[in-house]
Amino acid sequence: MKRLVAILELLWAAVNVVIAYLFVTNAFVAKTAIKEGLPAQAALLLGGALIAVFAATLARQSLQILRALAATEG
Amino acid sequence: MGTAARWVLVLAGLAILAAGAYVSFAQSGSGAQPWDPELSDNFVFMRVVPFVLGLGAVIGLYRAGGRKGTVRRGDQIRRFSVGTVIGHWIAAVGFVLALPTGLWQYLGGILDVHLDLPLYLIYRIHYIGAALILFSVANFAAYWWVNGDRSLWPPRGGWRRHLAGFALELPPALGTRLAAWLRLDLDQQPRPERFTFYETAFSFPTWTFALVLITITGLLKAMRYIYPVPGPVLYWASTLHVAAMVLLTLKVLDHLRYTLARWPLMVAMTRGWVSESALRHVLDTASRPGPRQPEPTLPAGAPAGVAGGSER
Repeated sequence: MKRLVAILELLWAAVNVVIAYLFVTNAFVAKTAIKEGLPAQAALLLGGALIAVFAATLARQSLQILRALAATEG
Repeated sequence: MGTAARWVLVLAGLAILAAGAYVSFAQSGSGAQPWDPELSDNFVFMRVVPFVLGLGAVIGLYRAGGRKGTVRRGDQIRRFSVGTVIGHWIAAVGFVLALPTGLWQYLGGILDVHLDLPLYLIYRIHYIGAALILFSVANFAAYWWVNGDRSLWPPRGGWRRHLAGFALELPPALGTRLAAWLRLDLDQQPRPERFTFYETAFSFPTWTFALVLITITGLLKAMRYIYPVPGPVLYWASTLHVAAMVLLTLKVLDHLRYTLARWPLMVAMTRGWVSESALRHVLDTASRPGPRQPEPTLPAGAPAGVAGGSER
């Protein structure tokens, strides 16, 4: 069960990395600057960076659990 | 309140929700309204929301009336009631539905990119998720309000102790900086009770803040379909709704990280029961032990005496 949960959380982290990527990259495109303005660009950049950091931390935690389980069984 | 009276309350809540939903769906499905699917969903959602909140509140009241104290079976203790476990997972399903669809609506608006899936279906899934979250908010608010359980919240006068405990649970570099910033005494080494200090001083308060923010702003946004909400109010409600959505995205990631590393907490929220020794181990090892950590090196230009708590 722990392995399944760790894998699902790793997937959730991966989805969030994609979201973070979309946030950060779209903070710098001209369309966002024209449509939304500087505050929205800053919010996208900050939000994206934070999501990336938290997703990376969750991915690291999930991988640690999976490695520990593999070591126990191996 | 007796068991029969509590059941009557729940059945009344269910009946009123069913009646309200029937009227809303019947109107939108009658073919007499000139609404497209998206507008139709908006109207149905807004009209069903009061009944969803009402049902959540009566179920919370039902649960509070039947609350039992600590129950033990050998080494196993009941950490959460069945109702709390089910309520938690209903909220989790709500997040799984509402967060990705909300993020897609926001990004879709900015990127001007659309899926093959019609937009109204994305909104529909978002509304189903939002309804589950609203139900959970009302359910837990009523439950805690009536039963008086405040164990997830620092008691009056206890915030500094809980924050000090939280600082000790953080990585040393972060914890000592937080302690210096808030002038916390890390020498006291407080011992957690039912929940870790991370849960009481940080996690639960931030969950509460984010959920209250997304609920109020979401209701304001939805209200515009039945009441003329002023433009500036709507603008700020939309902006803060997105901010709360990002905050909740971060909260979910952090919550998953924290509980995965402390497996007994995950077991407790699935079964309700947990081994007391395993739980005690989680609580006791949450804090970093040992003497006070050295004070952090302050960046150049920082005012002298901050880390030491000087009043200068």
